[in-house]
Amino acid sequence: MTLFSAPFVLLSVMLPLASMVLSCRTEWQRGYRYCLPLLPLPALLLGVAVEPGWWLELPGLLIGGLWGADDLRRAFLVLTAMLWLIGGVFAIGYLKDHHLRRFCVFWSLTLAGNLGLIISLDIASFYSFFALMTFAGYGLVVHEGTDEANRAGRVYLGMAVVGEMAILSGLLMAAQLAGSGLLANLPAAIAGADRQWLIMLLLLAGFGVKAGLPLLHFWLPLAHPVAPTPASAVLSGAMIKAGLLGWLVTLPFGEVSLPGWGNALVILGAVGSLGGALLGVRQQRPKAVLAYSSISQMGLMTLMVGAALANADYAGPLFAVMALYVLHHGLAKGSLFLSTAMALPTSRGGQWLLWLLIALPGLSLAGLPFTSGAASKLAMKELLKPDSFGFAMAPYLPTLMSAGAVATMLLVWRFLWVQRAVAGVGSNPAFMWLGWGLATASSLILFWWLPWPEAVPEKAWLSAMVYEAWSLFWPMLLATVIAALAWRSVKQR
Amino acid sequence: MTLSVLMPVFALMTSLLASVILFALPEKGYRLRTIINLAAAILKIALVGVMIWGVAHGREYEAAFTMVPGVEFVLRADALSMLFAGLSALLWLLTTIYAVGYLEDSPNRSRFFGFFSLCVASTMGIALAGNLFTFFLFYEMLTLSTYPLVVHRGTTKALRAGRNYIIYTLTGGAVLLFAIAWLHGLVGDLRFQEGGYFSDVDPSLNGPLTIIFVLMMVGLGVKAALVPFHGWLPQAMVAPAPVSALLHAVAVVKAGAFGIIRVVFEIYGLEAAEAMGLLAGLSVVAALTIIYGSTRALYQVDLKRRLAFSTVSQVSYIVLGLCLFGPLGVIGGLVHLVHQGIMKITLFFCAGNYAETLGVHRIDELDGAGKRMPGTSVAFTLGAFGMIGAPPLAGFITKWTMGAGALEVGMDWVVAVLVISSLLNAAYFLPILHRLWFAEQCEPWPHERRWGRLETSAWLLWPPLITATLMVLAGLLANVPFSPLSWAELIVLREVAL
Amino acid sequence: MTLWLMAGLLFTPLAWAVLTLMVDFRKGRLVTWLGMAVQVLVSLGLWAAVASDGGFLYLLGGWQAPLGIELRVDGLAVTFVLLTALVAAACGWHASIYLDPGKPWHRYFWPLFWFLWAGLNAVWLGGDLFNLYVGLELISLAAVGLVALGGQADALRAAIRYLMAALLGSLAYLLGVALIYGQFGTLSLAGVTELMNSGDAQSGQTFPLVLMLLGLALKTALFPMHGWLPPAHGIAKSPVSALLSALVVKASFYIAARLWLDLGGELGGFALAQLIGVLGSLAIIWGSWLAFRQTKLKQVVAYSSVAQIGYLFLLFPLTWGVTEAISLQAQQGITLQVISHALAKAAMFLAAGNLIMSVGSNRVDALAGVSRFLPFSLFSFGLAGVSLMGLPPTGGFAAKWLLLQASLASGQWWWLAVLLAGGLLSAAYVFRVYRASFIESTDTDQFYHPSRSLEVIPMILALMSLGLGLVAEPVLSVMSLPFEGGGQ
Repeated sequence: MTLFSAPFVLLSVMLPLASMVLSCRTEWQRGYRYCLPLLPLPALLLGVAVEPGWWLELPGLLIGGLWGADDLRRAFLVLTAMLWLIGGVFAIGYLKDHHLRRFCVFWSLTLAGNLGLIISLDIASFYSFFALMTFAGYGLVVHEGTDEANRAGRVYLGMAVVGEMAILSGLLMAAQLAGSGLLANLPAAIAGADRQWLIMLLLLAGFGVKAGLPLLHFWLPLAHPVAPTPASAVLSGAMIKAGLLGWLVTLPFGEVSLPGWGNALVILGAVGSLGGALLGVRQQRPKAVLAYSSISQMGLMTLMVGAALANADYAGPLFAVMALYVLHHGLAKGSLFLSTAMALPTSRGGQWLLWLLIALPGLSLAGLPFTSGAASKLAMKELLKPDSFGFAMAPYLPTLMSAGAVATMLLVWRFLWVQRAVAGVGSNPAFMWLGWGLATASSLILFWWLPWPEAVPEKAWLSAMVYEAWSLFWPMLLATVIAALAWRSVKQR
Repeated sequence: MTLSVLMPVFALMTSLLASVILFALPEKGYRLRTIINLAAAILKIALVGVMIWGVAHGREYEAAFTMVPGVEFVLRADALSMLFAGLSALLWLLTTIYAVGYLEDSPNRSRFFGFFSLCVASTMGIALAGNLFTFFLFYEMLTLSTYPLVVHRGTTKALRAGRNYIIYTLTGGAVLLFAIAWLHGLVGDLRFQEGGYFSDVDPSLNGPLTIIFVLMMVGLGVKAALVPFHGWLPQAMVAPAPVSALLHAVAVVKAGAFGIIRVVFEIYGLEAAEAMGLLAGLSVVAALTIIYGSTRALYQVDLKRRLAFSTVSQVSYIVLGLCLFGPLGVIGGLVHLVHQGIMKITLFFCAGNYAETLGVHRIDELDGAGKRMPGTSVAFTLGAFGMIGAPPLAGFITKWTMGAGALEVGMDWVVAVLVISSLLNAAYFLPILHRLWFAEQCEPWPHERRWGRLETSAWLLWPPLITATLMVLAGLLANVPFSPLSWAELIVLREVAL
Repeated sequence: MTLWLMAGLLFTPLAWAVLTLMVDFRKGRLVTWLGMAVQVLVSLGLWAAVASDGGFLYLLGGWQAPLGIELRVDGLAVTFVLLTALVAAACGWHASIYLDPGKPWHRYFWPLFWFLWAGLNAVWLGGDLFNLYVGLELISLAAVGLVALGGQADALRAAIRYLMAALLGSLAYLLGVALIYGQFGTLSLAGVTELMNSGDAQSGQTFPLVLMLLGLALKTALFPMHGWLPPAHGIAKSPVSALLSALVVKASFYIAARLWLDLGGELGGFALAQLIGVLGSLAIIWGSWLAFRQTKLKQVVAYSSVAQIGYLFLLFPLTWGVTEAISLQAQQGITLQVISHALAKAAMFLAAGNLIMSVGSNRVDALAGVSRFLPFSLFSFGLAGVSLMGLPPTGGFAAKWLLLQASLASGQWWWLAVLLAGGLLSAAYVFRVYRASFIESTDTDQFYHPSRSLEVIPMILALMSLGLGLVAEPVLSVMSLPFEGGGQ
């Protein structure tokens, strides 16, 4: 850790927290709004400019603090900072004066938590930031103050608190076995634990609440749609990933192969990815569709988690792929969420252009060639070959992935369909244009220049996509056909 | 008379003398009374600070003389007493500041502050007591000096609460006296000593010692509000806010808990108590109290009553921590003595602020109070999260250490108790927070008062803000020297033979 | 030196009594102030002398008993002498301000006061049974007279009742003394003990002891013979009540205790000891309960005396058939109880008098809201109450502690329950008074502040009772000083 970057590390967490000073005076709240995009900047710089592998000791903090970043965390950090920055820009234009100050405070708090948990290497800091994010996130969910928002908030909070407790117990037991306060020592300890099943169950369930694991997901389709749009974007794009990160840094990946857990997670992932889609296509509101899409996408990631858990040798490469997937999904989903708040321009050409730009991140999710989605899907496919894994569910992995792609595409169509029904025509504030534009651009273009995890398999992406074009394309085609049939049947009725 | 003898005496005397002077002051001597109050409190903090520094560097402070044949009066400063003394001294200052603001324009202030100081003197005595006898002396003095504070308002309700309080505590005191006398008869005058006395005791004494232990726990449990001896506590809520704050955060409940610590560590000895099977029973009672208190708190509509039941639950964490008879568990219990104090006093200050500024007593009247009183509400929020055990606040440190301690000795069910209690805590605190910040104010405040630019009187606003800050720091910087956690580790290192 | 002190102690009170008898109230007051100063100084001097040199037997005029008067000047006696001086001086001082000089019959207060004092000193120092009887009679008659000073019909009725009880008690006692004299041919306590120890003890000797104890118990108002006490103490003027409760009842108990400690070991028995103990316990419980039920402030205090006296009688079971150490512990406990009760009860009665004067009513209810006026007297009352409850650090607590230890050590654990329950019951009636004073009601804006010195006196007494617990050890060490040889 160089002297130069230590202030950056502290600043990346402290800046959001310190910004709350602006809430002290009513007159400052306008200024506060304009500060929102600046808050994640130090963290973004940290993620982009500083090579991973650094760490910072904070011995006085809690029960001994250690912050740092590795390859995996860097990807999460970059995504999170990007998305919050984009959300911040969008929020400037989006926010009304209604409880503006309150929104800004909770935004900053949630941001601090979200960034902090990524760079925490010790359990106490990690859990602290995780809790901060969870509880402050409640403020974003119920911001609108409607009955629906309050109900969603209640469910969110209830499940989150139960999740927190599961995490706490799991971490406690693991830490006690490890005899250490560092996250890095947990996997080995869990791998050799007598009550491995209990610890893993607690951690899986605890973080699973945040990650939208099937049956633990109930809060998600309620909370994401009711939150203000920029908040939905970060909720679905960044915060949901914190659950995944929790799994990745605590569970015994690479220590021991656990086929049983792998099978269970693959099944859960499959249920999530297909079931999410099944429920999602029945939603009437664009944001609800997107929320289910998030569940579905997290299902795919759960699939990978299961595979990594089942085979210790593949954990490392799979981590890299997951990091890539996270980056891709976060940006794309953020962009989609933001687009729900965009009003269509009056000109017909403009409308078409906008629809295209709205649809593209969606198609990217489904794996359209030459998008970020295609890249991550290919990387995923590359690894998840049935013959290299020895567990029961392994043979079904390719099928599941294809089915997932179909499901994703269906959801994209459904989203476009309902969005078309509700989208109004009008003008958007400049900052909303800017934010949305940034989101779309980063999903479609900037993605390729962001620092990817180093362990992603080397590949000539361009040629690979050409070769694999058909395999990427047929699920989308299939989904389009189904969607068209469905549309016709609805129209005839 | 060297300084080492005089220091503990001085620490006791500051508030005792202050109390005498305050009684003598005329009711109208507002300014003088405030000055005396604050001066005494600051002086006491300085004295305790010096002693803490000294104790940390291995110095000893002790004053002793024989009172009744065979019985000594001992004041002694060791690491454990400094934990409690430091807490009391600090919170006394803050509560005094708060009380000055709270009792502005109300009658009987001389009486109030006089007894208030007396109460703090007793607390200090309890902290510094060097043997059971001295402890009991101040324990009863505390009972007496808090009675006038509980009935201060003089309403029928207050008097009834006072009567209950006195019945509970005096009966508890009598049981305790009986136990102490019996123990004294068996083994003589016992100073508090590292590792206790009964590590290799004659097995024939096990029977009487067990009964004595149970009696002592009953006697001390009344003040520590262990179920089923907790009945007085929620009723005592009719007292003015600074009193409930002090009663619940420092003085009374902690006196009981502190006594339990002393008896378990330094009379019986942790190992002996465990070997006799005494801790198992105590831990079950503590666990039941934790769950029971939290459950009852759920159903309270009055803010202060909810906090009171929360206290019932939280104080037992301290007791539960001791029962874990491992270093970590004990540290968790000890550190909670301080943490719970800071957190609970914050909450009570805030409840007092709502009552005094807006006239709000019930939880359902709090809608939108966050907008009207942001400072108070921030403090309340922090306190509530601390109680839930959310990191990185003080409560989390407790919960984490205790949980680790429980696992360390294989008492896994304690973790379940902690989790259930946290869930219940969340269930009764989070709705309040929702009302504060996210509900819209529907009705006008029942009885609103205005204090210029600030949301409430500065005397009332600063204490909760300071305690809230302390609570955050106690959690956030738990690992720095002289933090409650570090101090608890020092105590365990020095005084608890494990 | 000691000769002068002894003379000053015994005869000057009589001289003051005669002097004051001849003048009116105001002049009597002046004489009394002077007398009290002298008495206190003399008592202090004697106490200091004994504390430094140890106790001695003093033969008045140099003749041996039975012809002469034998005085026993030990640590215990001088402690009580000093206690008497302090409490009586406090009461006298209080009375000199409290009593209305306008009422003609008040001039008799002073001579009665001095006769009482002389009688008390005689009892503390008396060494033979007959002299003790004389002292006792002097005390009783003076006390009855003081009660009658209340002036109303009620006071007279109470005084008559008191007189009857006192005479009956004296009669029983005298009968017992006569029987003892018949058997041993001596009235000196030391002599009787000596004779008994020499081995020629006969059967049937318990009866005189029982008779004497019965008489003394009646005078001490032991349950169930307590009926005369509350009316007398309740109706008397406050300083008088204070004197009666603090000192007068202690005199007869003192004699009973002396008899028991000297003769009880031989003449008493387990059953007798336990019976007295049980009566004492019943007194504690019943007296406290009745005190709790009283509506008049002074009646509360008077019944409290009945209860507190009950504690004293635990001396009997706790010193019979136990080891020396336990017996000593019990004796020390009882002595502390006597002293702390004397101080506390005097403080309480004087404070109660002030409070009644302040609110203009003798009812407990009338105290509602009084605490807001910060009356000093209420505070004194409270502090004295703390001592009665036996809470630390008061003398009452130290006493209770020693008694607890003695009961535990002697295996008579049943007294523990009595001691603890007694403490709680006394808390009940004391807190009832506190409680009343904390009631906030709007109609109590009439409050008369008595003069400073009236308020200071009970406070001093209460503080002494409070501090006694802290200095119990040095006080007790003087009491247990052994005799220095036989003569002067």
